[in-house]
Amino acid sequence: MRVTINGEVETIDEADLSISRLLAIKQVESPDMVSVQVNGKIIARQAYDHQLVVADDEIEFLYFMGGGA
Amino acid sequence: MTMKGFATRAIHGAAGKREAFGALRMPVYDSVAFEHETAASIAQTFAGRKPAHVYSRISNPTVQDFEQRLKLLSGGIAVLALSSGMAAISNTIMALAGAGANIVTTRNLFGNTFSLFERTFKPWGLGVRYVSMENPAEIDRAIDSATCAVYLESVTNPQLEVADCALIGEVTRQRHVPLVVDNTLMTPYLFDTKQAGIDIELLSTTKYISGGATSVGGAIIDNGTFNWEWSAKLASGAEKAGALAFMASLRQEVYRNTGACLAPHHAYLQTLGLETMSLRIDRSCDNALRLARFLAGHPKVRAVNYPGLEGAASHPVARRQFGAKFGGLLTIDLVDREACYELMDNLRIIRLATNLNDNKSLILHPWTTIYAEYSPEERLAMGVRPTMLRLSAGIEDHDDLIEDLQRGLGHSHD
Repeated sequence: MRVTINGEVETIDEADLSISRLLAIKQVESPDMVSVQVNGKIIARQAYDHQLVVADDEIEFLYFMGGGA
Repeated sequence: MTMKGFATRAIHGAAGKREAFGALRMPVYDSVAFEHETAASIAQTFAGRKPAHVYSRISNPTVQDFEQRLKLLSGGIAVLALSSGMAAISNTIMALAGAGANIVTTRNLFGNTFSLFERTFKPWGLGVRYVSMENPAEIDRAIDSATCAVYLESVTNPQLEVADCALIGEVTRQRHVPLVVDNTLMTPYLFDTKQAGIDIELLSTTKYISGGATSVGGAIIDNGTFNWEWSAKLASGAEKAGALAFMASLRQEVYRNTGACLAPHHAYLQTLGLETMSLRIDRSCDNALRLARFLAGHPKVRAVNYPGLEGAASHPVARRQFGAKFGGLLTIDLVDREACYELMDNLRIIRLATNLNDNKSLILHPWTTIYAEYSPEERLAMGVRPTMLRLSAGIEDHDDLIEDLQRGLGHSHD
């Protein structure tokens, strides 16, 4: 399926793709410091294991390390 | 395989990315700026879409390694390391309090914390409401819609009162106010603040964690137990950052803008300290209990206050909350100030210095040092007396410490 991750369109061929699995597939660094937004809505951390990604979802991984000088 | 033991986790940290050169110990990344290969990469980092370092006032690999290790030990959802314990307190209050806000706290606070609230924040408009932490109903009455935090110390310094955090937590949860606790004297090793219902844990890592007063530092731990949608200041941030709203506010605003960062070299030293923390704390607690028992039986000592003594007023709560270890700090009262000075001036091993939870045992006369800037009435109201000495038990051989105190007390009048 085609999804958009951080503005980039990507194809991921995996059924029943949870947010947790997506974080693993994308090898997201510091997953504890990332908030996941799907179609403009922040996903609760406790829902990562059971909330599934569907085709055309727009996903943002947002980090809170902050901008620099 | 999960690492269950505190020491194992402290030594090995979380499994993560291999260090660039395979260094088994995280090196000191003493660099201000971090280069990116493309313009898009640095833009993505500024936009929060990529977890990379750009500037050491914001984040640094060595500091991040320390934060992640502390997170593993504490059970929090996020940890921020800062330049000092006072930076941890001030940053926390600045992140939680908006215009017209108030905090509910106690007068029995570390002297500089009291000064921060009274002399730094009050003139900026922060309301500071003092209550007895032994009276949950009083805390409940003091909270109103503008209350942004209930603030206390798990063990107060130097009064050594022990707040019943579970009881206070019931009030703060019902009133939707975060419970913020300075846990410096106990650390995550002796007191699991998350299990006790505390939302934010603050630490002066200068003390037990630094590994023997090697460096000044502090930490903020978000236990992930508070719903930030209930915070007037952070509700809008919670829509974007969810459970990380408090940490996002710190990292992207308060901590960044106040320049409260921990130096990479200090983070390195404090990571070394973390590894041996449990061994040192065990020894310090054992020494403190032995010293307290010795001093309680000495004819020149009018009173001993140590939560580990069965007769101490704080003992029942301390036993229930902390188990069998009660920290390394105790106080004694002699007949007057001169007697205190005579004891201090005749010690040969225990050092005269204003720090605590060092490897070295330390002694201080709080009335004429940390609290000297306050009037006698204010000092007494804060539970500080001219007859009181604060003793921080280090990790020396206890027989030497007892002999030193015996000799010192021999020179002290009664």
